[in-house]
Amino acid sequence: MSNRPLDYNLNKPFSSSRFSLSLIFKDNILVFSVLVVLGFGLFMLYSASGQSESMVLRQLAYAVLGFLGMLIIAQLSSVAYQNILINLYWIGLIMLIYVLIFPDDSQVTKRWIDLGLFSFQPSEVIRLILPLSIAAFLTRKELKPKYSEWFISLMAVLLVSFLIYKQPDLGTALIVFASGFLPIFLTGFPVLIIILSLILIGIFSPFIYAGLSLYQQQRIMTFFDPNADPLGTGWNIAQSKTAIGSGGYFGKGYLSGTQSQLDFIPESHSDFIFAVIAEELGLLGIILLFLAYAIIIYRIFFIAFRSETIFGRLASASIGFIFLIFILINISMVVGIIPVVGVPLPLVSQGGTSLATHLLAFGFVLSVKKRSGW
Amino acid sequence: MVNDTESPLSPLSMLHISDLQSQESSLKGLKRRSKIIMVFLFIISLASVIQILNLTVIDQENYVTESEKNRIVRIPVYPSRGLIALSNDNSVIVENIVSQKLTISLNSTEDVVSTISDIQKSIGISQEVIQSFFNVTSSSSRNINLTLIDDMTEEQVAKYLLHKERWPSVNIDAYLKRYVINGPLFAHVIGYTGAISSQERQDVEEYRYLIDSRIGKSGLEKTYENELRGKIGYRTLEVDVHGKEVRELEKVLPSKAKNIFLSLDKELQELARRELKGRKGAVVALDPNNGYVKALVSSPDYDPNILNETAKGDIKFLISDTDAPFFNRAISGNYPPASTLKPFLALLGLENGLIDWNIKIEDKGFFQINGEGRKYRGWKPEGHGAVDLKKAIVESSDVYFYELAFKTTVDKIYSFLKPFGFGKKTGINLVGEGEGVLPTRNWKLGMTGDAWYVGDTINLGIGQGYITTTPLQLAVAVSVLATKGKVYKPSLVERIDDSFVEPILLNQVRIKDEKNWNKIEESMISVINSWNGTAHNIYNKEDVLIAGKTGTAQIKSLTEENLSVQEEYEDVRRDIMKRDHAIFIGYGPIPNPNLAVVVVIENGESGSAVAAPIAKLLINNYQRKQDSDV
Repeated sequence: MSNRPLDYNLNKPFSSSRFSLSLIFKDNILVFSVLVVLGFGLFMLYSASGQSESMVLRQLAYAVLGFLGMLIIAQLSSVAYQNILINLYWIGLIMLIYVLIFPDDSQVTKRWIDLGLFSFQPSEVIRLILPLSIAAFLTRKELKPKYSEWFISLMAVLLVSFLIYKQPDLGTALIVFASGFLPIFLTGFPVLIIILSLILIGIFSPFIYAGLSLYQQQRIMTFFDPNADPLGTGWNIAQSKTAIGSGGYFGKGYLSGTQSQLDFIPESHSDFIFAVIAEELGLLGIILLFLAYAIIIYRIFFIAFRSETIFGRLASASIGFIFLIFILINISMVVGIIPVVGVPLPLVSQGGTSLATHLLAFGFVLSVKKRSGW
Repeated sequence: MVNDTESPLSPLSMLHISDLQSQESSLKGLKRRSKIIMVFLFIISLASVIQILNLTVIDQENYVTESEKNRIVRIPVYPSRGLIALSNDNSVIVENIVSQKLTISLNSTEDVVSTISDIQKSIGISQEVIQSFFNVTSSSSRNINLTLIDDMTEEQVAKYLLHKERWPSVNIDAYLKRYVINGPLFAHVIGYTGAISSQERQDVEEYRYLIDSRIGKSGLEKTYENELRGKIGYRTLEVDVHGKEVRELEKVLPSKAKNIFLSLDKELQELARRELKGRKGAVVALDPNNGYVKALVSSPDYDPNILNETAKGDIKFLISDTDAPFFNRAISGNYPPASTLKPFLALLGLENGLIDWNIKIEDKGFFQINGEGRKYRGWKPEGHGAVDLKKAIVESSDVYFYELAFKTTVDKIYSFLKPFGFGKKTGINLVGEGEGVLPTRNWKLGMTGDAWYVGDTINLGIGQGYITTTPLQLAVAVSVLATKGKVYKPSLVERIDDSFVEPILLNQVRIKDEKNWNKIEESMISVINSWNGTAHNIYNKEDVLIAGKTGTAQIKSLTEENLSVQEEYEDVRRDIMKRDHAIFIGYGPIPNPNLAVVVVIENGESGSAVAAPIAKLLINNYQRKQDSDV
């Protein structure tokens, strides 16, 4: 700013109105991109849900609440959240123990907490809370973490992953571990240790596997080889691939996807909504969605790498990576190159918990950005 | 854009210098680590991108087809099978009647095995059905209904209704059952329908027979399967993932199956069947002027309705019957023509100038080559005395024809008789027709490894030895005599719906002196009308004029060596006397014959006493009917 002439802002037309908008949004590009994806998600959800207005309205309610939450969180400086984020770990831990003790019978893999007014899935929340609290913990001192801190973080991540594995949900457990390990890795955790552990796991996994009960072995096998269950998961994937492939370059048209509208795509409104997008809007629709996602991710890293605090940098980079990883996992699953795990397509899939937590996390990223006059 | 982190005014610049250094290094570290993750994620995302391009670009066609297959279901709509009726009075002889069958829907049955065994206990299912049923369930898709009991009796229906709550996936369906009126009368012409085999289903894949479809298995039901089944229609539906109809996209109505109208005359058919009295034998009567078959009876017969009713099995008693009721003797039975061949050989002799109507020979009761060696005996031990050609036919002199055969060769016999239709299929519209045997030197060499002997030719002179014909072939040959040379392809079908099946003239037999046709006919009339004719027993001067020839055929296996010159013919005759077949060929009324008849009765012994009366009855009856129609 100092490099520019003083009347720089005054010379620009409409500068006052822009100023006021970016005062609240802090990063217009990020916020607008998020709004575009949100709108697109609601638009697709209407088709994917079999034109269920109630489902879209519900999702819209979550989106509005999440968006407001995002803007509120964005207003304070990120440093203010550091202690809260560290302690969020304990809240997450309590939620996980709660669902283990009081399991909800209705769904086996996705455990819910019912708070009367609204219910949510702890594992969805944990996926975002954990990396943030670990990042906050590791950057308390604005110094490179000590080994003891890494060790404590690692144990914390393992504990949470183990609790989710107990739910039982091996897929989510692995994802939570990966997202929890992300800030540890980013702070420079020695690569040598990682390689050594991977080798050790490689050596011992056959023994660990042999030590498991037959039931547990089976569960692991179906996770890694969905074709072993051709009428269940395998069939779902085949239908999803058929939907994507038959969409071709420009898709079959909005509300005209036969796979989607005739219920051939499983969970078309939630985890498999990508297949609906591909079938109805084709490769073109996919590319446009990817572009919007790319802008969001770019802006997150842009903000992260310009942050003045190590905490801000690490936490927002972690959020950026987790956002990207979730997108990748969901799409890889829908196109059938990885096993089916319960990861929704961020900001698009039906599901209030996921939507709201992502928006709140973006709020945190915005808070990292210093309010600039532009 | 302003780079905030480079700003010296940043609040964090208050930190200690070492902290700042640490910050800088941590930023570098973070960026380095971020790059590692980015590269890692980039590689993973590359796999997804490649897969997306694979699906949407490279394999697009496949998946479009796949998704269409998912949503679009074509349900075949079958027309009811065509009727078979008689052309002359349009009376239906094969129709479809409503019946009930018990079916099970496999994909809505929880425990197939226990359901089946429960029904087996309560109602009863044949073992064959259970067997075939489990073959089907183990091999093909479960998305089908299978028939458990065809054509349920009232008792079975009642038993089902009593327990039906126990089997929610089992239902009674109405269906059309094939029914042949006067079943056995037309058995060998109509044939029967049966459960389609997997092979047959594959052979005509384009028709999309159902797994429990029925298909013509023999007779006209098989020959005219394409016409009788009609053209299939379709309903093209859009369905959801549960197979529920969302809407109908297209409907193509099935085109009506064609009805087949037969040339058969019901009265003649009944008459022939009655006169055969269940003895083994065959009667073929056709109109020599166009080849339309008026009667075709093979005896013994069976009731095709038993086969039409049954899915599988229950026909063992028919198959194991030693009289072979399934065997269509009229078109597949091979019999030596015996003396009925003599008129044809007489024509051959006249044509080749070997004999004329005046030359007489002395029939002493036997024939010897050059007056020595083996004696070929005639049927009359004392002989017929001085015999000219007419007498030789009227009295059926064997010796006369031994001499004639001796003067010619097997090659000339072959080339003269071939145009009459001997030794090849007539091409009638029935499956399983026999060819008969019109022997040649090569044929014998191939069959027995032996050369052709003169004695073999001499045996041919009386229609014995290696020559055999089917009754139908013989009827075609007789028609040639009746029409003075015209060879028509025999046909059972006169009309398909409204389009007439035109008679097919296969051949025209030409001889040098056309008068000889009439002279042969005169001789054949005398077979009946002369006091010395072999069939004079059927003569009645009020009846219409009939030309005929009797025959008594010895059945002797062709591979048996002893039917040759090495053996005394008399001995052979005596030994196999009991097995002689009675044959009669004839046509009438003269001069405008409209019916050529062949009657063969196995072990009937006497052509004149047993076979000839049936032929006369048919010709008379048919003529009476023609007259009354006029």
